[in-house]
Amino acid sequence: MDILYLLIPLSVVLVLAVLAGLWWAVDRGQFENVDQEAERILKDG
Amino acid sequence: MRRQHIAPSLWGMPQHSFDGFAGPGEPGGAPAPPEAALASGAALLDDPAEWPAFGRPLTEPATAAPSPDGAEGAVPGPPAPGPWESHVVLLGMHCAACALTIEEALRAVPGVAAADVSAATQRARVVWNPAQVRPSGWIGAVQAAGYRALPALDAFAREHRQREQRRALWRWLVAGFCMMQVMMYAWPAYQAMPGDLSLEMERLLRWASWVISLPVMLFACGPFFASAARDLRQRRIGMDLPVALGIAITFAVSTAGTFDPAGLFGREVYFDSLTMFVFFLLTGRWLELRLRGRTAGALEAVMNRLPDSVERRGPNGVFTRIATRRLAVGDTVRVLPGEAFPGDGRITCGSTQADEALLTGESTPVARPLGSTVAAGSYNLRAAVEVRIDGLGRDTRFGQIVALMESASLQKPRLAQLADRIARPFLGAVLLAAGLAAAWWWPSDPSHALMVAVAVLIVTCPCALSLATPVALLTASGTLARHGVLVRRLQALEAVAGVDTIAFDKTGTLTQGGLGLGRIEPAPEGGLTADQALSLAAALARHSLHPASRAIVLAAGPLAAAASGVRLADVQERPGSGLQAREADGALLKLGSARHAGVAAEPGAVPAVVLSRQRVRADGTLAAPESLARFALTEALRPEAAGVVADLRRAGVRVLLLSGDRDAAVQRVAQAAGICEAWGDCTPDDKLQRLQALQAQGRTVAMVGDGLNDGPVLAGAHVSFAFGRAVPLARARSDFVVPGEHLGQVAQTLLLARRATAVVRQNLAWAAGYNALCVPLAVAGCMPAWLAGLGMAASSLLVVLNASRLVRWSGEGLPCAVSAPVVADGSPPQPTGLRPAGEGA
Repeated sequence: MDILYLLIPLSVVLVLAVLAGLWWAVDRGQFENVDQEAERILKDG
Repeated sequence: MRRQHIAPSLWGMPQHSFDGFAGPGEPGGAPAPPEAALASGAALLDDPAEWPAFGRPLTEPATAAPSPDGAEGAVPGPPAPGPWESHVVLLGMHCAACALTIEEALRAVPGVAAADVSAATQRARVVWNPAQVRPSGWIGAVQAAGYRALPALDAFAREHRQREQRRALWRWLVAGFCMMQVMMYAWPAYQAMPGDLSLEMERLLRWASWVISLPVMLFACGPFFASAARDLRQRRIGMDLPVALGIAITFAVSTAGTFDPAGLFGREVYFDSLTMFVFFLLTGRWLELRLRGRTAGALEAVMNRLPDSVERRGPNGVFTRIATRRLAVGDTVRVLPGEAFPGDGRITCGSTQADEALLTGESTPVARPLGSTVAAGSYNLRAAVEVRIDGLGRDTRFGQIVALMESASLQKPRLAQLADRIARPFLGAVLLAAGLAAAWWWPSDPSHALMVAVAVLIVTCPCALSLATPVALLTASGTLARHGVLVRRLQALEAVAGVDTIAFDKTGTLTQGGLGLGRIEPAPEGGLTADQALSLAAALARHSLHPASRAIVLAAGPLAAAASGVRLADVQERPGSGLQAREADGALLKLGSARHAGVAAEPGAVPAVVLSRQRVRADGTLAAPESLARFALTEALRPEAAGVVADLRRAGVRVLLLSGDRDAAVQRVAQAAGICEAWGDCTPDDKLQRLQALQAQGRTVAMVGDGLNDGPVLAGAHVSFAFGRAVPLARARSDFVVPGEHLGQVAQTLLLARRATAVVRQNLAWAAGYNALCVPLAVAGCMPAWLAGLGMAASSLLVVLNASRLVRWSGEGLPCAVSAPVVADGSPPQPTGLRPAGEGA
């Protein structure tokens, strides 16, 4: 079980990395127009 | 740094009015300006000095954003060589597929590097290269695709709001994600039997929880602490104070438990409760923010009426087209027919008629001779005039109207005021109860005492109580705005739910505002069918804004395509009599009064217009005019009127008709609409007396009217609707404005308001019941902090979710195209159902 002493701090780092990723997505406006992109695939060309 | 020319103001509006005078929307059902004015407006945007008003250079550093100090004195610098990013408002969009079409059209323009169209906000962001294309180029491409683009002058104000929204979303995501992770770390402690978890492992998990809670405390909780600090500085008790206090105490106790398990506050930690509580709280806040944003967006669309550009007389007497925002008081401008007046002013040359529907509620054109005053936002209908500008921006009547609408959207409903009044002493009592509870438990166990206080603080947060009313009413008004009904007073939503009697005015409400086309009588000698005559007349009538012409064009509807094939030259309008034009073979076509058309007038009371043709004789002279057809004009009952009256009856509402018109005409309309109680020949005083008599019987009366005459009656009713094109905003007396010209909206407003008040009642009952149950439990120490957090957040969330049922309200029976009544090129989308009902009846 000693591996947990590594994994738990690692998970903290992972959470911070995910938060950074979320910030990137929010800042780029990824959540602002969620309906429109779904229709893009239906459009030819 | 090279000084960039900064947009000093919003096309004649002061800088700080960005939010109110939001970007160009559609001119609420008014006559669309002629194509020529539009085209020159777009060409005007090619002036590099105008670009910063609705965009900015991409290469420029962020300091290029508008700042108040970059006002009038700023020197217009040369355009930045790099690409520009501009924002435009799009009109005529209905769905996401439209957005993709516009995107394609924009990207096909050489020089446009990127184009993003948002269907949700009806806006586009265009990145373009000044070396290859000018704004008129890509705006033209949008128009060619069948939509209309206007520069989004409020782009920066919106950007600010968008930044706020993104930050709120970001806070919410941080809280949510950290909550999940803290729960994971807390799970072993929930599950472990005594001795399962080694001491080191437990400390490690607590340390990890503490680290993950930090972003929640420092970032996600920012608004609570900021607002609590503001309240403390102003020495008052705000909603966020108990919340901030609770969060701070919980975090302090948990931190002490983590780092000093043997200390005063024991070894318990509450990171799981803390993060969950914050997450639920932020969820409620975020939903509320979104709902408010949606309501604001709907109002923006209505508030734009002023022209983008105007012809100003220079010192040498030559008129040049400039942006309206460059206009100053004292300038003389020339306003063409079909354009809106840019400011309040006095006519110095020429005379005309103006459509002041927005300002006075009077839909019939008013004469504006030389020397009379004209108002900003009204339309010049007849002839080109020169106007000396006396007032601009906020100083105009139009500016005051917009300010009025803004303040209406900020008013607090009566129930909400009541809740706020209760909330303040309630908050004081909560703080006191928390303190007393802590003091009671402190001797036995300080840690437990603090957590009891936290539970009391958190569980009793009166958020739900104060959210209950505004959330429901704002949601309802947002839904109504999307369906084309503007709520001027939020209180009116409460009042309209209790309405049991509705009084309609006839002209312009039950009947269509303008004229309708009645019977078409083709002259036997003309040799045309009714449809052919109509199509020919429509081809001529297209060139005029006269109500009779509009009626003919509207009635031609499906024939309009054929009408555009008729080639006419030399079209002239003779004010007061009619139109004339030459056909391809030289024959003179006339449409108008019998005298104008040159044919014998037929006896009969029905107003009519006549279409006649003068053929060219062999020797080149014109033959005597021969009549082609007569078009009888009627006041047309709205096609939906009877259905709406029946709907209202079913909803238990008594329907009346009060009109100043001749009694016989009123009874005929009443019969057609299915109204049993109708009074004609009413003066405004009569109407008011009838209204007051009904009110004396204990009835709650709503009045639906449109005209100037209805002013006192609208004010006297419990609830008032201003209907149709004549939007009497300036009179500030109607509670609802229905610019979409559909009677069904009145009935739907009533139904939605009933739903909304039901929701408010449910919300208030829930919030009060919840507090009554939970406060004693918390004080007694029976409620752990995590449960308090969950309960509090759940109660707020339940209130918001309950209100959001009103968003999804489908508005059964409402026409979905109502929100887009006018298209740029003067050819409104014409539902075939608009053919006057009088014709069939």
